[in-house]
Amino acid sequence: MAALRRRWFQAPWEFRESFVFAAAAVLAGFLVEYATGGTGIVKPRLPYNAVVLSLFGVLVTSAGLAFRNNAFVKWLGGIPLGLALISAISVLSLLGGIIPQGEPRAGTLLTLLRIDQIFSSWTFAVAVILFLVNLGLSLSWKLAPFSWKNIQFILFHAGFWLALGCGVIGSSDLQRFVVPVEVGKANNLGYVMESEIPQKLPFSVHLKEFSLEEYPPQLMLFDPKTEKIVTESSQAVNQVRKGATASWKGIEVQVLDIISYAIPGKDGIPIPADRNSGTTFAKVRIKKGNVTQEAWLSTGSPMLKPYAAELGNLVLIMVPGTPKAFRSAVTILDENGQSTEATLAVNHPVDVNGWKFYQMGYDEKSGRWSQLSLVEVIRDPWLPAVYLGLFMIMAGNLLFFWNGIKQREAA
Amino acid sequence: MIIDFNTAALAAILFWAAGIVFGVVARWQSSLKIYSTICSVTGSAIMGAFIVVYWSYLGRPPLRTLGETRLWYAALIPLVGFLVEYRWRIDWLKYYCMAFAAFFLGINMQHPDVFDKALMPALQSPWFVPHVVVYLVGYVMLAASSVAAVHNVTLQLRSKPNAAGESVAHYLALLGFVLLTFGLIFGALWAKEAWGHYWTWDPKETWAFLSWLAYLGYLHAFRYKIDSKKLQWYLALAFVVLLVCWFGVNYLPSAQNSVHSYTRQS
Repeated sequence: MAALRRRWFQAPWEFRESFVFAAAAVLAGFLVEYATGGTGIVKPRLPYNAVVLSLFGVLVTSAGLAFRNNAFVKWLGGIPLGLALISAISVLSLLGGIIPQGEPRAGTLLTLLRIDQIFSSWTFAVAVILFLVNLGLSLSWKLAPFSWKNIQFILFHAGFWLALGCGVIGSSDLQRFVVPVEVGKANNLGYVMESEIPQKLPFSVHLKEFSLEEYPPQLMLFDPKTEKIVTESSQAVNQVRKGATASWKGIEVQVLDIISYAIPGKDGIPIPADRNSGTTFAKVRIKKGNVTQEAWLSTGSPMLKPYAAELGNLVLIMVPGTPKAFRSAVTILDENGQSTEATLAVNHPVDVNGWKFYQMGYDEKSGRWSQLSLVEVIRDPWLPAVYLGLFMIMAGNLLFFWNGIKQREAA
Repeated sequence: MIIDFNTAALAAILFWAAGIVFGVVARWQSSLKIYSTICSVTGSAIMGAFIVVYWSYLGRPPLRTLGETRLWYAALIPLVGFLVEYRWRIDWLKYYCMAFAAFFLGINMQHPDVFDKALMPALQSPWFVPHVVVYLVGYVMLAASSVAAVHNVTLQLRSKPNAAGESVAHYLALLGFVLLTFGLIFGALWAKEAWGHYWTWDPKETWAFLSWLAYLGYLHAFRYKIDSKKLQWYLALAFVVLLVCWFGVNYLPSAQNSVHSYTRQS
């Protein structure tokens, strides 16, 4: 075992040196944070970050090609250091995965070392930069001389370099604002999550209509004493449909009738109404022991009180179903007077002039009567580069899978 | 329709248990081997049928809650064991797999899921099924890989040679990693459409990244020709990270605002 007798920092460097180096880098990162009071990294914005990243890429690649036989450069681009840096990034991510992020408390050590915002700390940045050096060097050796045999390696590693590098350095150019709009009105002011001060946007959003569909309402048994919902026997969530049944210990409920949109009439009997003024009513038969009673339940609305049925010290209630879909019909007007009609829905953002428009939320207290829609607008000029990286990783991954299978066939 | 999970789960566990008992006895009485196979496969078939019925009852794929995904693991993990036996003639993996599946069903019996047919708008996406299925199968592979590695470690401690077992653990980890990569990227592409950004260091994302790094590290250590015996320990333990990502995240202090907590919002 000659390797064991090798002295510390005697060439060729291996795992020991790599892990010491990575640990020193992490420590240095923490020291920088401590010295600067945990203010985090300053990231340049376009076009400077693009220039920096390109220069960095060119520098790493040319260093790799020029000094490919240098022992130090070989180590810098080797697997032992790669593993040490993966471990360093893992440890930092582990901290970020356990300690709540984005809630700094002045004066605490977590904030001074920026462990509570670790992914924008010098510590994390140093680990990522060194990792990009390591990844870039190993990539340069597979790039030249080029061979198709290396294509899987190149796709995976270059894709990762691109996605990680562009994702990290490009995050300073990410713009995201929330634009609250009321039905029939327009707004060109956007809010950043952390700030109350709105910012003027290069377009306005006019909300023509907001609509929300719900799943059927649900029957629930409520215990006012404990303020808790009693779980139903079959563990199901009881969607209210004609003929549906539900049961709790000793209580059986059957839905006899349902009116989707109604308003209360004389003697508590509901009268059908239109969608805007009415709310859902259901007639139920409740059997508790030997006693059977019938009652009308209603979910209520901002204008109408809900109807519930009292059963001793428990209350049978009907709550509105959870939202199934909600969408906003909007007109987006840009500074040149160009207007675009669009319907925004969750999972269906719309692209206009390099901005993506998302249906984000609404006034949840008013439910389907909400007159407010929250539209989120996002611009990320680095997205195509990151996506290119991700697709390269996926292509490399497919080849990896394919080769893995082939090797197995050969075995 | 009555969904009786407990009956189906108990039946599956009994069949798997019978499969294991027949399998062990068959080491001396090889004519019993066929009963072992029949019982084991029946156990999985029961879970498979249950999922089909449950799916049609819910009217949406049962892939939303942790309890629902555990159903899939319970059905699929033994399947990996059967395939490994079929392909490499390694018969011990399936016993661990069945025990593992029974354990998952046990968790579900202890903590019955409140089943809810509603699918919130953010989950109504063409990405929903590929993202979850790829992860699901990836986790199944890695669970099986870890189980194989544990077996390899016990053989090592008894100084028994076991090269075939080590290569099974390796290939399962490799396949698992490939699927984990797809799952992670599908998740990122979906997040861009649903939540506006592809990566926000949400606790679940952070842990998914950590599990991915753990296996990335393994593959590089393997490539560097680190002793395969030592790597069995690594593979056995790497799964712990995955388990935290999978079930543990909800209990961590960092998880307050995770989009992945799947708790009911009522």
